[in-house]
Amino acid sequence: MPRCWTDMDAFEAFIDGGGLVEADDGMPDAYRRAVFAFIEMHANSELMGALTERDWIPKTPGLRHKMAVLAKTQDEIGHGHLLYMIAADLGVKTRTQMLEDLFAGRSRFHNVFHYRAVTWGDQVAIAFLVDAAALISQQAVFKNCSYGPYRRILRRIITEEGFHMRLGEDRMMRIAEGTARQRSMFQESLDRWFWPALQLFGPDSVPDDELLRWRIKSERNEVLRDRWVQRFVPMLQSYGFTVPAPDLRWDTEAERWDVGPIDWGPLERTLAHGGPDSARRIADAADNWSRTAWARAALSNGSSGA
Amino acid sequence: MSKQEAIREFLLAFADDEHLMGQQHTEWIGVAPFLEEDLAFSSIGQDELGHAAMLYELVLELDGIEPTDTAVDTLAFGRPSHDYRCCHLVEHETKDWAEALVRHWVYDAFEAMRWHLVAGSSMPKLAAIARKALREEVFHTRHADALLDRLLAAPEARSRLLAALDAVVPMVPGLCEGTAGEAVAVAEGAAAGPTAGLLEPLLVAIDQRFSAAGLDGRSAGSAGVGGPSAGGAANGQRGRTSRSPDFEPLMARMREVLDYDSEAVW
Repeated sequence: MPRCWTDMDAFEAFIDGGGLVEADDGMPDAYRRAVFAFIEMHANSELMGALTERDWIPKTPGLRHKMAVLAKTQDEIGHGHLLYMIAADLGVKTRTQMLEDLFAGRSRFHNVFHYRAVTWGDQVAIAFLVDAAALISQQAVFKNCSYGPYRRILRRIITEEGFHMRLGEDRMMRIAEGTARQRSMFQESLDRWFWPALQLFGPDSVPDDELLRWRIKSERNEVLRDRWVQRFVPMLQSYGFTVPAPDLRWDTEAERWDVGPIDWGPLERTLAHGGPDSARRIADAADNWSRTAWARAALSNGSSGA
Repeated sequence: MSKQEAIREFLLAFADDEHLMGQQHTEWIGVAPFLEEDLAFSSIGQDELGHAAMLYELVLELDGIEPTDTAVDTLAFGRPSHDYRCCHLVEHETKDWAEALVRHWVYDAFEAMRWHLVAGSSMPKLAAIARKALREEVFHTRHADALLDRLLAAPEARSRLLAALDAVVPMVPGLCEGTAGEAVAVAEGAAAGPTAGLLEPLLVAIDQRFSAAGLDGRSAGSAGVGGPSAGGAANGQRGRTSRSPDFEPLMARMREVLDYDSEAVW
């Protein structure tokens, strides 16, 4: 039975009481738009992440290794597929509109996918560092998310992302125990991907962050970012890699790693689609989309599938 | 050629076809017209690569080599080009999704027939792989058929698919070409009949699939396809020992990381 609230205060009391909002509820428009934008960006990021990784899938070294990487990318696109469906159910945009906005550069996706994977080491760094960052964020959303359909889908996504991160960790360990050339390749990948992965969490949450107030997110950006830093700095060091943070220090009083000041300029540029690979990534995706328009047009009489 | 060598060649052709077909499918992840097709191509690609790995293991067992993942990869990626036995259809590079879809249908129609040839093989492991693969092929064929049913009913899509068919059909005799000594492998019971025997039924199947949707009297055979006896001579494969111009760039792409450091384990 769809529910309605008389005003925002009543809605927020429902949220504060641990209530779960469902797609057919008469939710306030501001909440609808906020939860939609959050899920749309997540869906876009799954898809653009798959596009970033696809550059290297055909080059995966090994037959069964390639099957595992294909399965991972299939999962990512599957996540995008599910997320676009629940985003479309919110009635703000159709799935086709979301995809067209993405390929026209009108909507956002995570900063990390505005960078190009230039070596196989980058592919491993993405699976290891970026998937872990995404997993930490998603676990925090899942824990207490007020939007029911998103929370239920996150349960599945988190399970699969856990496998991806372990695949990345396993590949990273092989490299760590590998040849000097392998280690050098991966160190260069770390130099490229450490900061973008850290910046994925975003700057410190603002005090009146409505995503937190409405439990669309459950934890502050800086808390999640710190969780990632405390886990990955020692892990990378234990495998003999250098964390590319010149001001990195161990804070003996707080007993935690401090990466020093964070330059948010690169993140801001990616948000404006001005990242190092933003133009190519979006143009390629748009080109592929337009070259297969004939197939979507042919099926448009029935279910568009797009 | 000894009996073992003949069987090895037969298995290698099968494995190499599965490997490169799976490889070609990997190129479509994320760039198909629908998210559902991205998912389908990646799933089918995984199945084909899995078949290749199992067939390479059989080849290694014949060679007396323990079929570890490393040994499989050495066989799959590490041979000189003249030692591959794939057909030109699976080497063929395409940027056209219509062509990729038509090739997917044609290859899977052929593949199902090929698995049936070995489903009662005298090699128990090969017969077991065939039973597994045939269960998967039902889904591959159903997928391609369902999509073609709808696309061929739309004029522009039909015209693109028929143009794609024109590009694919000349490579069909090569797909059905056997390896040297295949008659010996058949006599030994490895397969129920020669691969070349699949050409006629495959051409009929192609005709039925595409004529039914308005091929207007054109037959697949009219696209320059010779009979089974034309075999390698018609398409330049020379018993699957000759590579097409697309092979070397494809293999260079597949080997890029492996070649980066030959000592590395990834």
